[in-house]
Amino acid sequence: MVYVTGVGLIGVDRHYDKSIRRLAFEATTAALNSSMVESIDFVIVASSISYLNESQLDLASYIASSIGLRGVRSITVESGEASGLAAVMMGKSLIDSGLASRVLVVGVDKLSEYPSWRIYKNLSLLYDSESDAFYTIGFGGLAGLLMRLYMDVYKVDRLTLAYWPALMHSNAKANPYAMLRFAITPEKVLEAPPIAEPLTLLDVFPLGDGAAAIVLDGKASGEAMAEIVAVETATGYQSIALSDDPLKIESLEVAYRRLIERTNVRSIDVVELHDSFTITGILELETLRLAERGRAAEAVAQGIFSIGGEGPVVNPSGGLKARGHPIGATGVYQVAEVALQLSGEFPGLKVEGARDGLVVSINAMGSSSYVAYMRAVR
Amino acid sequence: MRRLTEWSSARVWRSRVHRYRLIAGRCRSCGKVYYPPTDACPYCGSRDVDNMELPRVGRIISYSVIYATPFEDRNRSPVILGLIDLGVARLVTEIVDVKPEELKIGDRVEAVFRRVSVDGTTGLIVYGIKFRPTKAR
Repeated sequence: MVYVTGVGLIGVDRHYDKSIRRLAFEATTAALNSSMVESIDFVIVASSISYLNESQLDLASYIASSIGLRGVRSITVESGEASGLAAVMMGKSLIDSGLASRVLVVGVDKLSEYPSWRIYKNLSLLYDSESDAFYTIGFGGLAGLLMRLYMDVYKVDRLTLAYWPALMHSNAKANPYAMLRFAITPEKVLEAPPIAEPLTLLDVFPLGDGAAAIVLDGKASGEAMAEIVAVETATGYQSIALSDDPLKIESLEVAYRRLIERTNVRSIDVVELHDSFTITGILELETLRLAERGRAAEAVAQGIFSIGGEGPVVNPSGGLKARGHPIGATGVYQVAEVALQLSGEFPGLKVEGARDGLVVSINAMGSSSYVAYMRAVR
Repeated sequence: MRRLTEWSSARVWRSRVHRYRLIAGRCRSCGKVYYPPTDACPYCGSRDVDNMELPRVGRIISYSVIYATPFEDRNRSPVILGLIDLGVARLVTEIVDVKPEELKIGDRVEAVFRRVSVDGTTGLIVYGIKFRPTKAR
């Protein structure tokens, strides 16, 4: 059994005054303070774009030393945008296997270090360089392409899809760790500058810096906030062109099926999923069967996934869209946020009485997917 | 129009045949065709694969008009990225020689040989296949 016993979150923002090591230090300090632990057996650093932006390899060793943990066992996990949840999976497996009893998972990445055109270039490396990214796919080209396909296949209009970012911004308002804490209307999304048509600036995640840390423990001490029951994963096609049905995230479908086969997943109260773009959030809702194919945007507009709606509450944090998406750190944020929801301590929009939660993280359009099932210990 | 990915000249050279001639992989086990070719079938995992040349005419399944481009592509912005159906296989590629507002899903397109990137004044010039609308749509 693996429990989250402490979390530390840094508000996602443009932290020009803080280095990647400083952000990791602050998140770690907060996590260790909240779990009140003395010793850590293993540090796993989740980071992706940092090796390009920071010109640094073997990040975990350097971060471990600079946050006062020299001598600890450490390893860096890089799985693109899914690095954070991949690192949590590794941390859980170290505890499950008996190699460690207490693991610190730190996710950190900085996107505001360079002008956006350079970040767009680095972000395009999340996609397959042998196929799609051989061409200029920019920031969200493939997401734009899938969004147009979705609108064409299911006859869904652009405005209906704009309810997703509007919901995310509304949710983020109360979250002190969110980057974009202001409301927007669906109409505003359509008026925003185009990024990759039909995607606009308000359909895509903001470029921000962040760090999140969690302490995983094999024992349910008094500080245990939530149990991580299982994490599953699957790899997918290298390009959306290879999929017969690109409007289904194949790797997520497989990962989720594996999760359900391994554990008794009860009804889910809260989900933090990977809405890097409006369309990725929508496709994940449908792949997880929280909405019928072609109907997720309408369900979002009807308030199904809002507080008090019929479905599970989705992304009460504001999601990648409004909390922000510091690439390799995001999965750690999500696990921390769901742990806080399950312990009743989330400082933003609360899902009252939440007992079961899901975390979904994917890279690109599903080159790999990870999904975690978490349960309250109260 | 510099490289998105900093490829070595050896890497560009290795991929020249399938990029210039649209050579796909074909699985002898499950019969699927896929681009670019790989040593194992992305569908069934079989290593019993060979190659075939793809048709050079297809239809647009979907496309995106990209404005947020890397700096090197600013002078070409917006860039149109398309998902093209060639019958036996699909591929993601750039669509050229057309204004975004003239384009629609289902349009017929044909392969053209084009520059893909130029690395400054002394670096590599990388070529590949892009697609443009055919005269008869």
